[in-house]
Amino acid sequence: MTASPIIVAALALVLGLVVGAFIIATTTPTVLDAWRGMFHGWGGFPHALNVTFDNVGAAYRAIFTGSVVDPQGFWRSLTTGKGWPNTLTPISETLTYATPLVIVSIGVGIAFQTGLFNIGANGQAVIGGILGAVIGSMISLPTVLHVPLTLLGGVAGGMICGLVPGLLKAYTGAHEVIVTLMFNYVTYAFLLYAVLSTPYQQPGQENDIGRTLDPTAILAPLFGTKSGLRVSYGIFVAALVVVFAWWLLDRSSLGFDFRVTGANPSAARASGISAKRVIVVVFLISGGLAGLAGIVQVATTTHYIDGGFLIGSAGIGFTAITVALLGRNRPLGIVWASLLFAALDVGGRNMQASTGIPLDLATVIQCAIVLFVATPVMVKEIFRLKSTQTTGLHLSTTGWGT
Amino acid sequence: MSLVATQSAQNVATLVRNRRTRVIAVLMAIVALFTIFALGSTCRSSAHSVLTFTPINLVNAPWHLGSLTVLTRWTVIVLGLIELALAVEVWVREPRRAVMARFGIVAILFLLAVLFWAARSPGPSPIDFVNLTSILVGASATTMVLVYGSLSGVMCERSGVVNIAIEGQFIAGAFLGSIIASTTDNFYYAAIAGAVIGGVIGLLLAFFSLRYRSDQIIVGIVLVTALSSLSSYLNLQVFTPFPNFNTGNLAPNLPIPLLYKIPVLGPVFFNQSGFFYVMMILVGVVSFALFKTRYGLHVRAVGEHPRAAATVGIDVIRVRYINVVLGGAIAGLGGVAFMATQGQFQVGYTSGYGYIALAALIFGRWRPSGAVVASIIFGLSVYLSYNLVTYNVPISIYFLEMFPYLITIAVVAGLIGRVRPPAADGRPYERD
Repeated sequence: MTASPIIVAALALVLGLVVGAFIIATTTPTVLDAWRGMFHGWGGFPHALNVTFDNVGAAYRAIFTGSVVDPQGFWRSLTTGKGWPNTLTPISETLTYATPLVIVSIGVGIAFQTGLFNIGANGQAVIGGILGAVIGSMISLPTVLHVPLTLLGGVAGGMICGLVPGLLKAYTGAHEVIVTLMFNYVTYAFLLYAVLSTPYQQPGQENDIGRTLDPTAILAPLFGTKSGLRVSYGIFVAALVVVFAWWLLDRSSLGFDFRVTGANPSAARASGISAKRVIVVVFLISGGLAGLAGIVQVATTTHYIDGGFLIGSAGIGFTAITVALLGRNRPLGIVWASLLFAALDVGGRNMQASTGIPLDLATVIQCAIVLFVATPVMVKEIFRLKSTQTTGLHLSTTGWGT
Repeated sequence: MSLVATQSAQNVATLVRNRRTRVIAVLMAIVALFTIFALGSTCRSSAHSVLTFTPINLVNAPWHLGSLTVLTRWTVIVLGLIELALAVEVWVREPRRAVMARFGIVAILFLLAVLFWAARSPGPSPIDFVNLTSILVGASATTMVLVYGSLSGVMCERSGVVNIAIEGQFIAGAFLGSIIASTTDNFYYAAIAGAVIGGVIGLLLAFFSLRYRSDQIIVGIVLVTALSSLSSYLNLQVFTPFPNFNTGNLAPNLPIPLLYKIPVLGPVFFNQSGFFYVMMILVGVVSFALFKTRYGLHVRAVGEHPRAAATVGIDVIRVRYINVVLGGAIAGLGGVAFMATQGQFQVGYTSGYGYIALAALIFGRWRPSGAVVASIIFGLSVYLSYNLVTYNVPISIYFLEMFPYLITIAVVAGLIGRVRPPAADGRPYERD
């Protein structure tokens, strides 16, 4: 086999799943007990192997049936014509989860293509979500105006939060990695402040929960609320963002400036591209998209923000870094990567519910996949692929100083 | 021609630096004026605050020292005047070095002034004293963790590898340290286990970034993400069913005879856990090793100009592997130390200290001694911000929580251009 990027990505997925299987096998008590019993009799070893495969298989089967389709349910629906909503729920959930992920990852990917690390996408999404939700819940407007205004609020929130690292990077040279990382913690604190203080906190609530979006401000489910399927008009927002990103990077002169700056900063300077302008604009776009993702997440799923918004394994801004890397920072690649990672996350929830293996395993698998994708040479060595070209991810990052 | 160009470029650089120094001075002056007028004028002239020195924990207490009652308004004004003097000094003299250190001192003086102001009596606060010793002891715990983190950074970045995975090494060290300390009840084993796991993560980072020349920041960030979710996963898989693996791990204090009796200094420096003493020794060892030994010369050569180092026969890759693994081990040990100050492992409780340690490293100009000064400033600001919560100040607790991170951002933004990282920092090395 020759090593095309797609084959490398597919093999990285396989390796990631192997890593996940190893973790399940070494941390699940029943599996460990079975291995401990190995020395008690001749049947011990096959039995231990059996238990291991059973547990790992159950976990991965739960991921698949929870995120794509349950074959039995599908067959039943096909033959009897009943229960379609139930059968389609997994795929609908995956699409719902992937929608904001695509948007935020494209923002991170655009920054990566310019040689900038936007590790604060999660904080930008949080601020975008808050500002959008404030507009969506505290102003009354007809739907035609309210939905776009809410989304624009999210974009504005993310832009504000992205502007600060951008300006600091452009005018003082402060490394964006440290600034955006610190900003994530600042925004968490602000989130708790916002959902616990009077104008925005849900009236009559003591807990850390914000106001619910007006029905005129939500992105409605595609098949109506009655179907129970959450997949919503948000996917059209994501599609628009994909088209915008493709146009920006491949067709606009601004995007050309971005890519030149990312590929060769000194060539960019020599050809008269203003590095400062590029940095600030990239952070505005990247932050704006992250903010949009935040409000899309709110408007398509919960319709309110609470103190746990985008925290921990729900932090799409962190997943976005890995998604963008897996998708090689290209809009279409990011769509596929988002679908894969959304499936892992949604399926992970099902796995937690049915086998008790914690959802965080999905994140570990995702990180392993990205590590393998980021080092294609290693994947080639493991599988002894013929190497056509060394297509490592090239990013122009250096130390903290200049 | 090129000489003229270089000179004009230098002039521009000096101009930019001067302008930025002025901005910093103005910021400092604003803080000073706020201290003098906003805090000084809002308390009654008769209000007073009490400064105490005896620690709250009376085990191994130092010799007793009385308390000091001061007039709140005048204390605040004097603190504000010191801040103003520093601001004026920066504006007038434009010192080439340690501008941000002065900025950090102003931030701490400001927090102290707020503390005095909040503790005034009669006043709204339930606590009417400021305990200097407990402030310093409390801040020393955070400082210790930051020193471990930035020492790890010094080891890695001096050899030219950016270790952004310090946060992950903290998490791993804290997790494994908690298990080992709970099961063996022995902090030596816990410390060794933490150092080993930190070293293994360093090895992973080195493996990806040296052998496959992957981007060091990406590998580091992915490692941190993986480790924090792995810790959350294992927390549910191991600590939830077996809570005995994660309890009662407060490291005991080991008072140094006689010295611990000294008021204020005793509790801070001589009545600490073993991890604190190890940290102090490590600072000296790393300093000595990097700047006084042959090995240190090799490391710095590799970090500045790997190709030149290679021509004189230094094995660049080997030096980097060794340093990244050792740096990881130091950070892992720091994770155990942090766990030992908290008593157990919790998901997400390192709250970005690994990244603040990186900022401390930049602040300290990639030197262990500088990193210590920076860690003290950051540690104090973290502790004072959290401590203010108990004084019923009219600022939301969540804004107080932001403060250390905002100071970090300000410091990093103010420093760039004044400090120079090792020239090959973060660049992959390619053998010919």
